[in-house]
Amino acid sequence: MAAVTYPDTKVIGFISENIIPVQVLFDVKPLSTDFNIKWTPTLITLDSKGKEHHRTLGFLAPDELIASLLLGIGKSHFETDRFDGALECLERVLKEYPNSDSAPEATYLLGVCRFKSTNDPKPLKAAYEKLKAQYPTSAWTKRAYPYRLL
Amino acid sequence: MDKEIKWEADLDQGLARASSERKTVLLYFYNPG
Repeated sequence: MAAVTYPDTKVIGFISENIIPVQVLFDVKPLSTDFNIKWTPTLITLDSKGKEHHRTLGFLAPDELIASLLLGIGKSHFETDRFDGALECLERVLKEYPNSDSAPEATYLLGVCRFKSTNDPKPLKAAYEKLKAQYPTSAWTKRAYPYRLL
Repeated sequence: MDKEIKWEADLDQGLARASSERKTVLLYFYNPG
């Protein structure tokens, strides 16, 4: 990460604009215990109260990191019922990084966010259909499988 | 534009900045070895 991803100009710009970066050694107590760190690199998205919303383990290339951070910010909004903010982040994942590993989960959550903000179940079915068409082997496609019946 | 990421080393300080700047935090655990 330090050699390839963090020096990337796009990553530097994204982090500068969107997120507060904190780096700590993997064995510093009590954080390593509090967050149950067993391997590195571990990257965790927290809200401003310190609550965890997203976690990844292992190397991420620059575009994968930005997509993952957008997903993490979106999940932070989603899990605190700020659906407009969540939709904005999740839509950016799909628009700017549709081939990233974060895109299937973003597709799933986008459907859930749209459903929760409208009470209309159609976005759930639309999410499944998009997952089936664009990410047929993703675990998120399997998780959305029941929505085909809506 | 910044030429490198300006990492915070202290989580409490990072959370305080996140609160005042209305942002989320990336907490990165690394192994320098």
